Amino acid sequence: MTNRLPSGPPGSPLATADMAGWHRLHPLSPLIRTGRHVVTIGILLVGVIFANRSQAGGDLVINLVVIAIVLAAGVVSWLVTRWQVADGVLRIDTGLIRRQLLRFPLSQVQAIDVVQTGLARVLGLAEIRLRMAGADSSGGRLACLRLADAEQLRERLLSMTRAPGTAAAGGQVALPGGQVALPGGQVALPGGQGTLPGGQGTLPGMAGRSGESVEIRGAERQLFRVRSRRLAGAIVLSRAGAYVAVVIAAMASVAVLTGQPGIVASFLPPAFGVVLAVWHQFNGEFGTVVAVAPEGLRLRSGLVQTTAETIRPGRVQAVRLVEPLLWRAFGWCRLEVDVAGPRQRRENQSEARRLRALIPVGSRAEADQMIGELLTAPPKPARRAPRNARWKAPLTYHFLGWDGDDRYVVASRGRVCRKTTWVPLHKVQSIRWVQGPLQRRLGLASVRLDVAGRRVTASIQDRDAAEANDVLRRLPEHARAARARAIDPVLADPPPGG
Amino acid sequence: MPVAEPGPPAEVGDDGIRWQHPSPRLLRARRIQVGLVTIPAALIGGLAGSTASAALGLGLGLGLVIAGLLWERFLARRVAAWGYAERHQDLMVRRGVLVRRLSVIPYGRMQFIDVTAGPVERSLGLATVRMHTAAAASDARIPGLDRAEAAKLRDQLAELGESLAAGL
Repeated sequence: MTNRLPSGPPGSPLATADMAGWHRLHPLSPLIRTGRHVVTIGILLVGVIFANRSQAGGDLVINLVVIAIVLAAGVVSWLVTRWQVADGVLRIDTGLIRRQLLRFPLSQVQAIDVVQTGLARVLGLAEIRLRMAGADSSGGRLACLRLADAEQLRERLLSMTRAPGTAAAGGQVALPGGQVALPGGQVALPGGQGTLPGGQGTLPGMAGRSGESVEIRGAERQLFRVRSRRLAGAIVLSRAGAYVAVVIAAMASVAVLTGQPGIVASFLPPAFGVVLAVWHQFNGEFGTVVAVAPEGLRLRSGLVQTTAETIRPGRVQAVRLVEPLLWRAFGWCRLEVDVAGPRQRRENQSEARRLRALIPVGSRAEADQMIGELLTAPPKPARRAPRNARWKAPLTYHFLGWDGDDRYVVASRGRVCRKTTWVPLHKVQSIRWVQGPLQRRLGLASVRLDVAGRRVTASIQDRDAAEANDVLRRLPEHARAARARAIDPVLADPPPGG
Repeated sequence: MPVAEPGPPAEVGDDGIRWQHPSPRLLRARRIQVGLVTIPAALIGGLAGSTASAALGLGLGLGLVIAGLLWERFLARRVAAWGYAERHQDLMVRRGVLVRRLSVIPYGRMQFIDVTAGPVERSLGLATVRMHTAAAASDARIPGLDRAEAAKLRDQLAELGESLAAGL
């Protein structure tokens, strides 16, 4: 990697410890950004050539032209893209025809990820993704930088997001306004990690190594590591596994019934899609490691495409424990957290719909331990639903329950797939009371607690109307008190505290 | 307009809640909207049916008109079900007849507030105030407010939101 030219102005952008100037992305980034498409087109191309060799000539030319156009577009987009960090704001200017000047105030950042696609890993590059709070605006994306630079920039950005009012590392200007509601007790000193941000960028040789070795540093305590074999088993027993089974069964039965294995070929595109989805899930969750570090929860995962995420303390909006029917037989479960803002992976739709899994699959003991780290003394959904609810929800009645104290509310529901959701009261955005016609007849009502993000709602489902009214009367007051406490720096939860 | 008290029972939340209701003109706006949907639908349905036989066309047209009238009967209750109350720390909005809903939105959680008015609402001098929080699920809107009142409510809420704002 040493012979690769540094991007933009002379010297590695970060080695000079000067982020205030404008920088370019790495010159190889167009290749990485379009790599996925090029690979797809290449596969199609091979398919076409094999399918009909006689007519392949014309298609080949067309495909090559397409690849050339895609690459040229990538290069142009690289030429017009530049970025800068100054005054606590990350600025990205991009776009030739549709010029975009993006500003990301670092005080509003929810999480910063370092992502490496397979190709980027080979070339020692990485992408930085900023997650903002807005539910539908896209976050910032810097693709690609050298891995060491990306790591460093992340540290730097994180240290700037974390300490409003104090000067960030590298003599940057103090951040505007104390908008971040971080308890003062949690502000860990960035300097404590002992790595000089300026020092590392001068070792570009590091960039060629795999992400793991570079990232593990500083004071961090590992909480969880997924077992690969169990993950494979869990995926086989999940919905995706069921799809694969159905597709394989369909293909086999068609081949047997018609006696012509060639017909199976027409099934290949959907089969390919399903396999790809399963692969994405496996790839995304393989080797998940969760650790506590001063700047928050660190998540690393991935087999080919590796992701390193940092969830800042106090940014976890909700915790959800998912126990599908088949997994329950093995005592497995999944633990997810909701972080405000959209998932940034457009290319990876199947994963984009999920929450971030801290534990893709693990035992109850592991999940309980992790919950204990995330929440202090969380309640259990011990208050069962009233008998009347049996008529309204004959199946889910079994698991309906909730409980709450002055910090958290927990609610569980679902029969086939049991979901238990913990919501810290100081994260509650709005409270809704709902009563459908059937519920009214049975004297029931539900109360829902919404937290920031798209999908997470803790639903205190099918309670006695009187109880629901009581909850609705008292909960806003509790939530307000919890908010006031959370803004007060008095409440010093453990670092990853919800 | 008989203001029945559908929605959650009065004792929900504070006892001394003073519910405010949308303007009575909201009912007129909703009637116009129903008419705008029903009449063209009935005409098109009738014409399309009459290509097969006159009786079918008449039946289809009449059926659609009757459906529209039934819908209209239901409107008054739905409009009456809307209500909102400003409390010290939060705003309560309730709605719905069949499925009754009541939302509590703390002022500090409001991310932004917008005021919209469709063509029908605009012609009657009405507007809809919509509150957005960081949660996509919390849907709180108050339709059919007098335009001046909507603007006043918006400013009031924005001010309260600013003074009570809490981080995510």
